[in-house]
Amino acid sequence: MARSVRNTGRIDTALVVACLAISLFGLVMPAKMRATVSTVLRGTVLAPFVTIESRSAGVRAAIASRNDLLQVRGRVATQALTAQSVADENATLRRLLGLSSRLRDGFVAAEIIPSRGVEDDFTLTLNVGSNAGVLPFSPVVMADGLVGMVQSVDANTSFAITWAHPDFRVSAMSVNESAFGIVQPHLGTGAERWLLELRGVPFRAKLDTGTLIVSSGLGGTYPRGIPVGTVLGEIATPEKWARTYLVKPSVLPAAIGPVLVLLPQRAVRGVNGVWANMTSADSAARAIAAAGDSLARRAALDELFARRAALDSANAVNGVTDSTALVGAPPIAPPTAGGPVIPQTRTDSLRADSVRRSQAGRVDSVRKPTIIPPARTTPPAGASPSGNGAQVRPPATGVR
Amino acid sequence: MRAREASSEGADFFRASIGFVLLILAYFAVRPLFSGRASVDFLTIAILFTAVRVRPGLAAVVGFLGGLTIDALEPTTFGAAMLVMTLLSYLGSRTKTVFFADYIALTGLFVFLGKWLFDIGYVLVGRGVHGVDLAVQLLVWSPISAAITALVALLLLTLVRPLYRAQAT
Repeated sequence: MARSVRNTGRIDTALVVACLAISLFGLVMPAKMRATVSTVLRGTVLAPFVTIESRSAGVRAAIASRNDLLQVRGRVATQALTAQSVADENATLRRLLGLSSRLRDGFVAAEIIPSRGVEDDFTLTLNVGSNAGVLPFSPVVMADGLVGMVQSVDANTSFAITWAHPDFRVSAMSVNESAFGIVQPHLGTGAERWLLELRGVPFRAKLDTGTLIVSSGLGGTYPRGIPVGTVLGEIATPEKWARTYLVKPSVLPAAIGPVLVLLPQRAVRGVNGVWANMTSADSAARAIAAAGDSLARRAALDELFARRAALDSANAVNGVTDSTALVGAPPIAPPTAGGPVIPQTRTDSLRADSVRRSQAGRVDSVRKPTIIPPARTTPPAGASPSGNGAQVRPPATGVR
Repeated sequence: MRAREASSEGADFFRASIGFVLLILAYFAVRPLFSGRASVDFLTIAILFTAVRVRPGLAAVVGFLGGLTIDALEPTTFGAAMLVMTLLSYLGSRTKTVFFADYIALTGLFVFLGKWLFDIGYVLVGRGVHGVDLAVQLLVWSPISAAITALVALLLLTLVRPLYRAQAT
């Protein structure tokens, strides 16, 4: 028994010594021989294990690449979301650039400072102040139209009210000068809160849906010709001697971004042609579009067609073209890749319209030509900053 | 009586063999999925679990073959794993009466020390690592690997105890 145990111990020792000896030999073996032995082992005994290991590594790589793929997808989705907002901002800035080009001078570009406290939907804090020449009552505009009016001014900041402010008032008229009135917030509930109403329109002046309303220049705060909104329809009021129209603002609240503040000298000079002149109005935007930016091209063409449609409707009412002819005419087509499609007016529309007007023979139906309301009048000292006191409502019998 | 003991030993050997093969397969199939600076070393677990079941001589041979497997896959350190694993397996077989009692924490400590010692010997003998890298490898990553390996070993002993339970000799 003792011999058996001793022999087993010797065998163990021998095995250990042998294994250690071979290991040491492996350590000092030439590199070429090491590589040969390793290659033989990997190709024979260890081949199945090497295969399993390589497949596992492949699975891990697939999992890792899957994670990478998911991360890339997430980044792309995030960028897609931000790209849309950047594109919208880009379009707004380009349109503002076009407006700046048309105004040429007499304005200050301003950014809106985010509100620091309770959210106020009716006022804006601008990053320009009296150091930049901004004064109270300065109009705040965008490429789409009127935004509001500067209410108070600090050295480097100013505070403006938007058209949605309950104190906002602007003397306005239809773009064909057939109706005058005062535009003020609708003060409805829900979504109607973000609409305007044109009050005090003479009863005989009926406006069609879609009629463009612009500032009339009366009162001296807002220059003549700034788009305010478009008529949605007439609403019933207790005032039976005048009409009140619901107006969709030209500048929607969500679209209010970088703005331009018109300086006093520019307001005195007026903005004639800036929003209304088709030839020069969109030259800057078209120049940008010609540069090859598809976004700018689309925005410029949208703006171009909107203005053209507004002027066409105005001309139709003025008798330049027959509005009835336009009913049968093809609608204004949206801008296409091939270029704008200009609606064709029937050539006989002018004659038909003039004949009809001559047959009517009513004196009061002939509108007196272009009696321009008085230019800007200086707001009286101590006038209400809201503009109530600065606005002069046109007399009912003034121009008609 | 003698036949019953022989049958029991045969069944135990069979179960141990299955456990060993499973660990070897896990070394090649599972380890690549979680490869990193600190990972589970199923091969060390397999060799240590085998070493405590067999005589020191045979344990040394098993360790030698395990080291040969490692060296064949990494020819630049050829011989280092063989040498270290042979010594480790032999020592493990010698100390099995200390570590493989019914106290499972001691088994975890055995695997932890075994894996750490293997890393120390393997790095010192086969790898040309020096300075700070050597200290970080031996004092940070190797203990972490050893701890993970010991944890997995304890899980195996707890969940699949029939395969990896050591027989008192």
